[in-house]
Amino acid sequence: MVPDLSKLENIFESNPKEPGSLIAVLQDIQKEFRYLPVAALKETARILRVPLSTVYSASTFYKAFSLTPRGEKVIRVCKGTACHIKGADLILEQLESGLGIKAGETTPDLKYTIEVVNCVGACAMAPVMIVNDKYHGNVRCDRVLRLVKKD
Amino acid sequence: MRIDSIDKLNRWREECRDNLGAHKKKIMVCLGPGCLAGGSDEILEEFIKVVSDRKIKGVSVEAVKKTGCHGLCARGPLVVIEPEGIFYSKVKKAHVADIVDKTVVKGELIDKLLYADETSGEKIVDYRKIPFYARQKKIALRNVGQIDPDSLEDYVARDGYAALARVLTGMKPQEVIDAVTASGLRGRGGGGFPAGRKWATCAKIDSDVRYVLCNGDEGDPGAFMDRCIMEGDPHTVLEGMIICAYAVGSGQGYIYVREEYPLAVINLQKAIEAARECGLLGENILGTGFSFDIGISRGGGAFVCGESSALMKSVAGEIGEPRAKYIRSVVRGLHDKPTVLNNVESYANVPVIIDRGAEWFASIGTEKSTGTKAFSLAGKVNNTGLIEVPMGITLREIIYDIGGGIQGGREFKAVQTGGPSGGCLPAEKLDLSVDFDTLTEAGSMMGSGGMIVMDDRTCMVDVARYFLKFLVDESCGKCVPCREGLFQLHRMCERICEGRAEEKDLAIMRDLSEVIHRASLCGLGQSGPNPFLSTVMYFEDEYLAHIRDRKCPGKVCRELITYDINDKCTGCLACISVCPVDAITGEKKKKHVLNQDLCTKCGSCYAVCTYDAIDIE
Amino acid sequence: MLLAVIRRQGIDIPALCHHEAIEPTGNCRLCTVEITRENWGGWKKYVTSCLYPVEEGLIVNTHSEPVMQIRRTILDLQLANCPNAELIQELAAEYGIHETSYEKQPEGDNCIMCYACTRICEVLGCSAISPVNRGHDKVISGPFGEAPPDCIGCLACAQICPTDVIPWSDKDGVRTIWDKKFDLVACKKCGKTIITREFADFLIERRKLPREYFNICDDCKRQELADKMGGIISQAEEAAL
Repeated sequence: MVPDLSKLENIFESNPKEPGSLIAVLQDIQKEFRYLPVAALKETARILRVPLSTVYSASTFYKAFSLTPRGEKVIRVCKGTACHIKGADLILEQLESGLGIKAGETTPDLKYTIEVVNCVGACAMAPVMIVNDKYHGNVRCDRVLRLVKKD
Repeated sequence: MRIDSIDKLNRWREECRDNLGAHKKKIMVCLGPGCLAGGSDEILEEFIKVVSDRKIKGVSVEAVKKTGCHGLCARGPLVVIEPEGIFYSKVKKAHVADIVDKTVVKGELIDKLLYADETSGEKIVDYRKIPFYARQKKIALRNVGQIDPDSLEDYVARDGYAALARVLTGMKPQEVIDAVTASGLRGRGGGGFPAGRKWATCAKIDSDVRYVLCNGDEGDPGAFMDRCIMEGDPHTVLEGMIICAYAVGSGQGYIYVREEYPLAVINLQKAIEAARECGLLGENILGTGFSFDIGISRGGGAFVCGESSALMKSVAGEIGEPRAKYIRSVVRGLHDKPTVLNNVESYANVPVIIDRGAEWFASIGTEKSTGTKAFSLAGKVNNTGLIEVPMGITLREIIYDIGGGIQGGREFKAVQTGGPSGGCLPAEKLDLSVDFDTLTEAGSMMGSGGMIVMDDRTCMVDVARYFLKFLVDESCGKCVPCREGLFQLHRMCERICEGRAEEKDLAIMRDLSEVIHRASLCGLGQSGPNPFLSTVMYFEDEYLAHIRDRKCPGKVCRELITYDINDKCTGCLACISVCPVDAITGEKKKKHVLNQDLCTKCGSCYAVCTYDAIDIE
Repeated sequence: MLLAVIRRQGIDIPALCHHEAIEPTGNCRLCTVEITRENWGGWKKYVTSCLYPVEEGLIVNTHSEPVMQIRRTILDLQLANCPNAELIQELAAEYGIHETSYEKQPEGDNCIMCYACTRICEVLGCSAISPVNRGHDKVISGPFGEAPPDCIGCLACAQICPTDVIPWSDKDGVRTIWDKKFDLVACKKCGKTIITREFADFLIERRKLPREYFNICDDCKRQELADKMGGIISQAEEAAL
């Protein structure tokens, strides 16, 4: 899958062309391509006038970014304290056994990615699972796969 | 429409109040994080559709308002009909038409949607009379759940920007600093540093450029107060920051919002644009000649970026590795310039302090911890949600009077506050006053406001392990005590959970904790050992049970427990379908069998069994 | 900073991530000292002397028991992480640690994550390598784990590394470091290799040196000068006769 780099133009137009924009630009790239393509990172270094090593550091330091393509459905399991004591591990186990991948991985058909997030701020509805942008609260472990597969 | 004078602002306020008052009824639909997770966005859409269809006199589509978190998340999705404050809980999309036809049009109550007290069963109609709400005092959260966050008019109608107007036309910068100092406002992000003193230090430094930053990183797992303020009342954050900027002499500010809060970014951005358009932000604010603008900086998913120096690095586009703070960031901060960094909730308090006076604010709470504090109450408590209470209230009052006690009638075991920097307090400490200092003396800390209640099915060693793993994941990795020290501390804690530890391990862990605390470069490392230290202080017997007896009293640690199916099993197949390793076999209506060799002790079967047929030993 | 004063007094405390050529960062924490003041009522603070500014009235203890415990534990932790690093083994032994008390980390190299290499690279103006990943998985590497495009083969990183973790080699006119190969410029006179082409160009541009500056090695340059001087002296001697 070769990324369409013409989309980068828009991203660089909507952010100030300075080092301070690095993280915002990386987020826009991540959102557009579902990962950070190498070519996009090299362009970023050039346009923002930031060393490539700094761009790469930021790509690997912040958990928002992925250097490999993420799935169409990104499933985020919240592992905040409230979710942990209310069984977030059970949700994760259902996902891992049901989709055949571990947290942090993507299914070979690029349909699903499982991610663990350290608290999304919906603690009163623990345990919480987010599928792309859709929040699910009070998730029961026997409903997990159904919730993920619908839509 | 530019508001370039106080007069114009006052006149506009009257207009906004009149417009709001013109609605015979208002339908407030909570879109806070909890209710949103329950589908309240669809409920909002349905209300808009139904109200528009019905064409009710005095109730237009503008009377349907989305709000930020109303508070009682446990009963969500929530809908409140004003002005009566009729509180409907656990609302579904299918209920909307009825609510409109019966309650809004005819004034009839729908009994099954009303709040019922857990024990007495008594129905309470007006939410302000429900104990959960009645015992709170809202200052920082005064507008959250009461206004449409997208509406500048709603904010202005409720005295929004009146404080800013007073500051810009009637107060000198030093007077503003004096007011904030006299109020006793201490940093609400957890550090508790006196805000007035911070502003004064920044203002005194000779510099052409100063920055005002807002810490919206809220990384503590279990805390969502700041999220609710940013999403539910973004203008209060802006107003607080502008007042601060005027006081210290700054022309540029940023709100750093963590990556996991995209809605907060959207709502803050809308508020910034609306405020700019009206001349309440940007060049020549309110026609007074004072200029200050705010940008939003998004985090990348790193808890350590809640630390001030790491946050400033991140704003500058670098990796969020903290620096030693022997020279404080108020002196040399963003781009090496003097910078004030305060928490979202701290700024939310500022307009009220100016409006109602420092003395009034200082009369609330305790002598050293004035004002109120927002908390996100979560865990095994009945009334999980967002609250704000005066400082000095006890843990017991929060957990039982407001929180409604422990879920399922179980026993209270511990309450965790302060996130990964804090600690757990047991039942004997429930009567402690909640403020900046008392909980710290007891070995925990109040922190940013996350409050997680735990019952007897919690293992305190597992809780320590959980927090240590969190810190190991989030450590930036620069310094040895944190990167290697917390890593080893976590490994030792894991071995205790797995039943492979020896008694001497506890002494090694205590010594290691002391070094990590003293020698780490930043606050993450320095407070890193707290989860272990506070749990071993109050729950040492649990640690010893794991080590000496290879037992987990909370029945959580997988290596030390076994699951089995007892005779209450009705053969419903629920556990078979949920077992991730297919360890359970059986047919419908016949007692199921659990294969101990395959069982991973995950507890999924226990979670779904409704017949109490799963035993844990 | 306190460390300068401590060293001036002739007191020896370890400071592995410290080097005069780079700004201090306080990564290794070994230069930690105990500070207090008369009006602190006995309360003590632990700070890294490489970063803490010298202030009037500070009472500094470089070898108190808590400080020794800190150094011991840090070296113990480093020993668990880099069991084969000779420098760590020696230092740890000085503090009485011969075997780590913690769980050994089996894989990995002897990198103590002092950042001296990345900092010197930044100071020189290349920023070719940087810290990658976060927390326990942190490593120093070029972008994407490949040969860093901005590396000029100057060897500053290899030379500043306290545990000699960065391998490099000069062989048959080619230098290899960070998996990148550089052609070495050879002296036109004696044929000895002097410097990488990239480093030469870098210096010529940044320091405004003449283009031919690196055509001759320093030894041959000295010989040329000596010959020239010798010629001048013998001319003068002749003239004097």
